[in-house]
Amino acid sequence: MEPFVRLPTWRWQWVIIAVAAFMSCVSVTQAAEIKGKVVDEQGIGIPQAVVFVQTPASNGAKPTAPRTATLDQIDKQFVPNLLPIPVGTEVQFPNHDQIHHHVYSFSRAKSFDLPLYKGEEKPSVVFDQPGVVDVGCNIHDWMSAVILVVPSPYYATTDANGQFVLPDIPSGTYSLVSWHERNRGKIADTAQQVRVDGATSELTFTLSLKPAQERPATSGQRGSR
Amino acid sequence: MLCAIPSVSWGQYDVEEKWPVWVRGLVDVRIARGGRASSWTDQGMGIGKSRYGGTGSLLGGERSTRLVVSQLSMELGATLPWGISARAQLNAETDIDVDRPLLIEAILRKEWGGVANGWGLQSGVMNNPFSLEHVGPAWTPQYTLTPSALNTWLWEEVYVVGLEGEWWRTTLSGLRFGLLGGAGFGPDQMARLLPPRGWVLSDYQSGVNSDLPLALRGNTDSVSVFDERDYRPALYTRLSVSDSRHRGELSLGYFDNLGDQDTFGVWSTRFGTVGAVLHPLANVDLLAQYLGGSAQSRAGNFDILFHAFYVLLSVHYHGHRLSARYDNFRTDDTDGPPSYRENGTAFTVAYLFEFGLSHRVAFEYMFLDSHRTMPVSFDPSDGGWQLSYRFRY
Repeated sequence: MEPFVRLPTWRWQWVIIAVAAFMSCVSVTQAAEIKGKVVDEQGIGIPQAVVFVQTPASNGAKPTAPRTATLDQIDKQFVPNLLPIPVGTEVQFPNHDQIHHHVYSFSRAKSFDLPLYKGEEKPSVVFDQPGVVDVGCNIHDWMSAVILVVPSPYYATTDANGQFVLPDIPSGTYSLVSWHERNRGKIADTAQQVRVDGATSELTFTLSLKPAQERPATSGQRGSR
Repeated sequence: MLCAIPSVSWGQYDVEEKWPVWVRGLVDVRIARGGRASSWTDQGMGIGKSRYGGTGSLLGGERSTRLVVSQLSMELGATLPWGISARAQLNAETDIDVDRPLLIEAILRKEWGGVANGWGLQSGVMNNPFSLEHVGPAWTPQYTLTPSALNTWLWEEVYVVGLEGEWWRTTLSGLRFGLLGGAGFGPDQMARLLPPRGWVLSDYQSGVNSDLPLALRGNTDSVSVFDERDYRPALYTRLSVSDSRHRGELSLGYFDNLGDQDTFGVWSTRFGTVGAVLHPLANVDLLAQYLGGSAQSRAGNFDILFHAFYVLLSVHYHGHRLSARYDNFRTDDTDGPPSYRENGTAFTVAYLFEFGLSHRVAFEYMFLDSHRTMPVSFDPSDGGWQLSYRFRY
């Protein structure tokens, strides 16, 4: 019986390669979610922790598209006070107060300063190195925020109960870490390996936090300067 | 691809330690050319700080150009348990003959609530809350180098050591109301400077431990900023309201030192003030403030009514700021001779440019026209200019 389609032997080889490549792509794009919780030593959920993929999957993943984000200034506070972003993100710094702010950072991951006036254009900064960027205001010393620049597009911030969800993680093996501004330990010690293969993976990170030590804000008339 | 992401060292995720104690410093160096009249700080009748006054005699001499350290300040702060903040400011006054640091402020403060609604308590050595201009670092004027006559006086004599409470609330429509009330000791001789000297325009910051010279011919006496004699606390209050979009704020203030004139040397001084800060355009600040009050003393015929007003327009673009201010000030004698009357105006124009985190250069020109009918009737009218470089750590 004649084959349905007769192809030269060398062409069959190309079909096999193409099918194999297609199957490989299917396996890479077979996304799943990683969810879990960040808790303290008593098992209580920790809000405002960031969980992110630190090392790439063994089979690679999609490149990160350029992104933009905003760190606003409203009522002499940074909004939000924690801004996780993937590396390469351009962050805009509008000022919605009627008073002058002077935003700066001396952090290793990014050093900059921006004199900001109400109504003027929103200056922006591109964060091209992973790491923690402590942001402050040179005029209002109590104002502080953290921009956490993470190395991949896969990150999440925990909710009020300490829970997080990382959706659409391509199949592969990853190293995930958990970061919190007041974590006593090293971030490297939080690393966990996880194999994503289409099913939901669950992780729990346990952190030990230092006591909160924020500089009290001045919101009354005495703080109008 | 992810494998192309820059490598990272774990150390880059470390958070900078937030110290519970902080220190900041400010130094302002100026080239200043003043008028011929010696300053009130030299017992003269000029209405600027001593370095801006003339030389030669108390009544005045030749104009001079001087290089001076205008302000040398250290600010200290600490975060204490239970969310209490502590703050203090010390000034070293190199221009006026003071051999000790001046304590500008030393307070403990605690707030409850948030930005929209809350209340707070503050206690310690503090200036009054009425100046609309002293809103820069280390309580420097924000819009010009030299504050208005009105706010100069508020920062010379109106100090208390006491307790202050604040309450603020934002309505559903976005209006924000603030009410502040305080009581404190110290200002029993408040306004003693005004009858013999009149109004001045000066960036001198008094400390609670300052002794301010009296501008009287042949008199080297001084008045202490803190001088509690009758042990009755001064009372003051401030009410403010601002709109939902923060386009403007209206404030009313009242201060009464409740001076008991049966106690030797005590002055009875009270004043009210009304002020507005408007932002008609995003890059425009418009300020107007009026203050009126009375001072009485049984130590002599010093009773006066005093009034001051200014309007200030300031335009800013990035680090540049251009400001113009018109001042009007007067005193009216209300008892027997000698007559302590003054009627004056001033016009100030200033350009300020801030660059980097720590630097500012500024130029200011001031024209003064003041007429006094006082024991020393030297005309204090004069103008001057200042070129300033400020560094703040």
